[in-house]
Amino acid sequence: MEGILAVWQRDVIKFFRNRAQLIGSFAMPFMFLILFGSGMSGAMSSMLGGGGESGALAEFDFVQFMFPGIIGMTVFNTAIFSALSVVQDKEFGYMREILVSPMSRVSVAIGKVLGGSTVAVFQGLMMLIFVPFIGVSITISMVLQLIPIMFLVAFALSSIGLLIATALKTAQGFQMVIQVLIFPMLFLSGALFPLNGLPTWMDILVKINPLTYSVDMFKKIILEPEKMDPALRQAMGLDIEVFNHVITFTDEIIAVSILSIVFVVLATIRFNKAEA
Amino acid sequence: MNAILEVKGLTKNYKDFQAVKGIDLEVEEGEIFGFLGPNGAGKSTTINMLSTIIKPSTGYAKVNGFDNVKEKNKVRASIGLIFQESTLDEKLTANENLMLHCKFYGIEKSIREERIVEVLEIVDLVDKRKNIVETFSGGMKRRLEIARGLLHYPRVLFLDEPTVGLDPQTRAHIWEYILKLKEKAGITIFLTTHYMDEAEICDRVAVMDHGKLIALNTPEALKAKVGGDIIEITAEDLPKAKEIIESSYNLEVQKKDDKLSFQVEKGSEFLVQLVREMDIAITSVNLRRPTLNDVFLHLTGREIREESVSKKDMMRKSMRGPH
Ligand SMILES: Nc1ncnc2c1ncn2[C@@H]1O[C@H](COP(=O)(O)OP(=O)(O)OP(=O)(O)O)[C@@H](O)[C@H]1O
Ligand SMILES: [Mg+2]
Repeated sequence: MEGILAVWQRDVIKFFRNRAQLIGSFAMPFMFLILFGSGMSGAMSSMLGGGGESGALAEFDFVQFMFPGIIGMTVFNTAIFSALSVVQDKEFGYMREILVSPMSRVSVAIGKVLGGSTVAVFQGLMMLIFVPFIGVSITISMVLQLIPIMFLVAFALSSIGLLIATALKTAQGFQMVIQVLIFPMLFLSGALFPLNGLPTWMDILVKINPLTYSVDMFKKIILEPEKMDPALRQAMGLDIEVFNHVITFTDEIIAVSILSIVFVVLATIRFNKAEA
Repeated sequence: MNAILEVKGLTKNYKDFQAVKGIDLEVEEGEIFGFLGPNGAGKSTTINMLSTIIKPSTGYAKVNGFDNVKEKNKVRASIGLIFQESTLDEKLTANENLMLHCKFYGIEKSIREERIVEVLEIVDLVDKRKNIVETFSGGMKRRLEIARGLLHYPRVLFLDEPTVGLDPQTRAHIWEYILKLKEKAGITIFLTTHYMDEAEICDRVAVMDHGKLIALNTPEALKAKVGGDIIEITAEDLPKAKEIIESSYNLEVQKKDDKLSFQVEKGSEFLVQLVREMDIAITSVNLRRPTLNDVFLHLTGREIREESVSKKDMMRKSMRGPH
């Protein structure tokens, strides 16, 4: 137990000590939200509202729509990249210090995943800095709901990251694999554009993509679709249907939890087998 | 007989290459035991097997009575390990590195502080406690690693090339600490090196080459095996001189760079005779006792890369004590 905590603590200390990374982590979200988002926003509203359709659809604000997706993107990236520290520890030798201690490997793996998840939650919360500039209203109760959901999602992605990290020896290799994996998943998750009117093949990919449900949870918390006009909800692609069943928040929690458990077990088993 | 380390028939295969080819040895409690061999001899591979990092292909090792494969965690709790490459977290402070180690090894909270100060005192780093390791010199990092390896009071401390890449003065310092440890804690020290002068400080030395132990004894006994004295001469016509010495005195002569070297029973008497009888002009002579390098040369016909800092330098340094 103490060991898990120590492994966790190390990653958290190092996260807060790394100023450059902290500041750099705002670059991508900033570009997406302000540059890409604002640009799209104008185009979207002229398309949607331009046809004389007043009322519900005129309220479609693309930047606001994107905000939960950006939080999601930040959490995914931070969580899955947190396993980079495992590869770096292998490269720089610290992994040996950990692995020759009498602490169990399971503790090390769990500590790493928890560390990555914690860091991802912090990073995700830091995105709330953008709130005043984009006109979404975030309440305390939303933040309190966001934290556990971010943690759950981050836990799943940190586990996936760890599983990949156990198989790779160099930081460079790890970064490549993650990029190749995370970008398509991000594009097919509804984080960056509404999920409606997609071609069938894409619709299938979107629905088997776990990030879709993760992003959707953030949307459900922040955008409050239950208070929206159904037409707007439809336009934002907030009613995900699988086999004619509209996916609920609870469904999503269950799905991501199962995913987390599967991957943390796989990662732990793999990690347990690795030689120092 | 109180063997703290017991090794039988230990081998390690990498695909079709056998890095370690069957090692047997016992190390007694409180000994400083040295593993001497050239690059690629299999020293690190052996030390990694002894310290549970890699699994032996065949054979077994026991540390402190525990089996290295079946009772890994008990072995791990009984040993301290300093690797050939640094395993510090350079982004953290010295104190953070040590504190994490305490937690990994389950050292009780109430004694952590005391232990950390204790080990930092041994290596003279108390005042650097709050500094980030990145800012340390190579020697300081090494000392910190040694301190960390001692935190959990191991029975055996494994050091893989503890002084490689350090300047002579720092090497002497590290040795000061190692000797101090032996004195104070009665800890068993198992180290690898390819520095002869370091091997000479050990109580016993195992000479390793191509994955095999080719000799194992005290440094004195090993040197006695070479026998007699080593004479080195330079002369005007080296090849001719070599031929003459070989034929008229029936000696085995080695030519190295621009000098000849050979060993004889009574060095000074032989020299006098040689200078008198030889008709080629001898330009310089040197008479010395054999070193472990000569032992290696004697056993394999090759030399281990010899490095600076004589044993004498080291002793002188360590007698001056910590500063
Ligand atoms: N993982 C590995 N796979 C294949 N061969 C290996 C592996 N590790 C070591 N070897 C080989 O085993 C031999 C012994 O290596 P080892 O590192 O034990 O040597 P060493 O005596 O420690 O040398 P040095 O003084 O350079 O540290 C070398 O020939 C090396 O190439
Ligand atoms: Mg080595």
